[in-house]
Amino acid sequence: MTGTDKPGNDLTGNGSADNPADLAGAYALHALSADEAAEYERYLARSEQARIEAAELSDTAVALGLSVAPVQPSSPLKASLMAQLATTPQLAPLTPAADAVTPAETAATTDAPPAAIPIGSASARGSVTAASAPVSSVDPGAGVEQGSAGDPSAAVKGSAGGAAAARAQRRWFQRPAGYLVAAAAAVALFVGGTFAGQALYGDPSQDFAQEQAASLAEINAAPDSQRASTQTADGQAATLVWSGELGLSAIIVDELPALGDDQDYQLWYIGAAGPVSAGTFDSDGSGTAWRVLDGTMSAGDTVGVTVEPAGGSEQPTSDPIVAIQS
Amino acid sequence: MLDLMTAEFDLDASSTAPSKEELLARVADGDQSAFGELYDQIAPRVLGLVKRVLIDHAQSEEVTQEIFLEIWQTASRYESQRGGASTWIMTMAHRRAIDRIRSSQAGRDRDTKIGIRDFAVPYDHVAETVEVKIEHERVEKAMSRLTELQRQAVSLSYFSGYSHREVADHLHIPLGTVKTRLRDGLIRLRDELGVVS
Repeated sequence: MTGTDKPGNDLTGNGSADNPADLAGAYALHALSADEAAEYERYLARSEQARIEAAELSDTAVALGLSVAPVQPSSPLKASLMAQLATTPQLAPLTPAADAVTPAETAATTDAPPAAIPIGSASARGSVTAASAPVSSVDPGAGVEQGSAGDPSAAVKGSAGGAAAARAQRRWFQRPAGYLVAAAAAVALFVGGTFAGQALYGDPSQDFAQEQAASLAEINAAPDSQRASTQTADGQAATLVWSGELGLSAIIVDELPALGDDQDYQLWYIGAAGPVSAGTFDSDGSGTAWRVLDGTMSAGDTVGVTVEPAGGSEQPTSDPIVAIQS
Repeated sequence: MLDLMTAEFDLDASSTAPSKEELLARVADGDQSAFGELYDQIAPRVLGLVKRVLIDHAQSEEVTQEIFLEIWQTASRYESQRGGASTWIMTMAHRRAIDRIRSSQAGRDRDTKIGIRDFAVPYDHVAETVEVKIEHERVEKAMSRLTELQRQAVSLSYFSGYSHREVADHLHIPLGTVKTRLRDGLIRLRDELGVVS
């Protein structure tokens, strides 16, 4: 029951250390070092049969991954991601051909046999020659992903030297207007268009929203980014994300109730010197309200939120609805 | 191409929801709302896998964030003829999780933290939905058809993030033997699961 009885398996030999085909399993499981993977990919480039095997074993590994129980991410994760999109450039397609694949075609090839298990279905078979390798492995361009560990921007830098990178840069830097819209969209998407209760589309506040989105992205991308979660007095989930290096923090609260026109939520940094105002905000009572705090966070500061008369107070006049220590 | 997975995924999406492949194509064009929708559809799968490998929740969320930024950046490189969007994303997710283990102290910390985990049966979570449960049972059944030695090697690599050299060290067996076990094990799984490229 070892599987070695499969005809396609002949070139495995008996596991001789020198046979690159032996690396097929380890490669699909990401169990090779970068050098070993590169060696195997050189072999893949020479062997159609090996490419088919690599694609199949990679898909088999994915089946293992899909058998794991899902875990729901915390809500700040999505907020942070969406905020970062505005400032994260996208790569251009590698080849014009890639552009030619329309969503309709995509659906047709991948969803063609929607029912039960399409083992050996015609469409799946037909794709064998096209699917010459697992995504992101053989293609020299896609290979940049391999080197991008831990640094998403490396994927961009990694493709330097290619025309694609130049196109990507051009595409990105030539659309400043798109940036403004994108930043606003990132914010609007998360807070249901009621970003911190301030008029998002007003002239100065759009800049404010954009700064806020950029700051949130910056905090989340910082190497020392941390977060702590708790509940407000009324039980809403509240999360503080911060970076000590940047001296910045942001608070994110789910379903924070709306206040009347005569009141605002006010943020405080509470350190050795007592509470220092860090700005005000509002909530429309649904979705996620978040705000990057004004001022500079010091290590160990507690961030508190109080309800204050509209416009805020010099010092807190009520008990905090939530307090989180950084 | 992992059609069976695509079909399985369709179970938990309403029939009118755009497919992940469609969403990915829109993401490639810079569509942020499509990205949000794709995230909603697959982020729990991604985090589930990453956390299975990394154990630590906060670190797993960081890596999940990196993965989704990479999806945003490289969506234009996704080629649908090479396989479904889930396959593309889950492959990327696993590679990122492994990269994290290898690139930092994380791997060693993690080993210290969890000790030597039970690797023979890589399922220590209760499946949360019918779809996941079905898939889980299908894979578990397929895994049961491997030899104990193959299953051990595959689990150590895929779920615990050991390199094949680390598997060899850990099990005190020659590297060549590990290579064979990993390959034969995956081939066996492929056949049991009916994965056809």
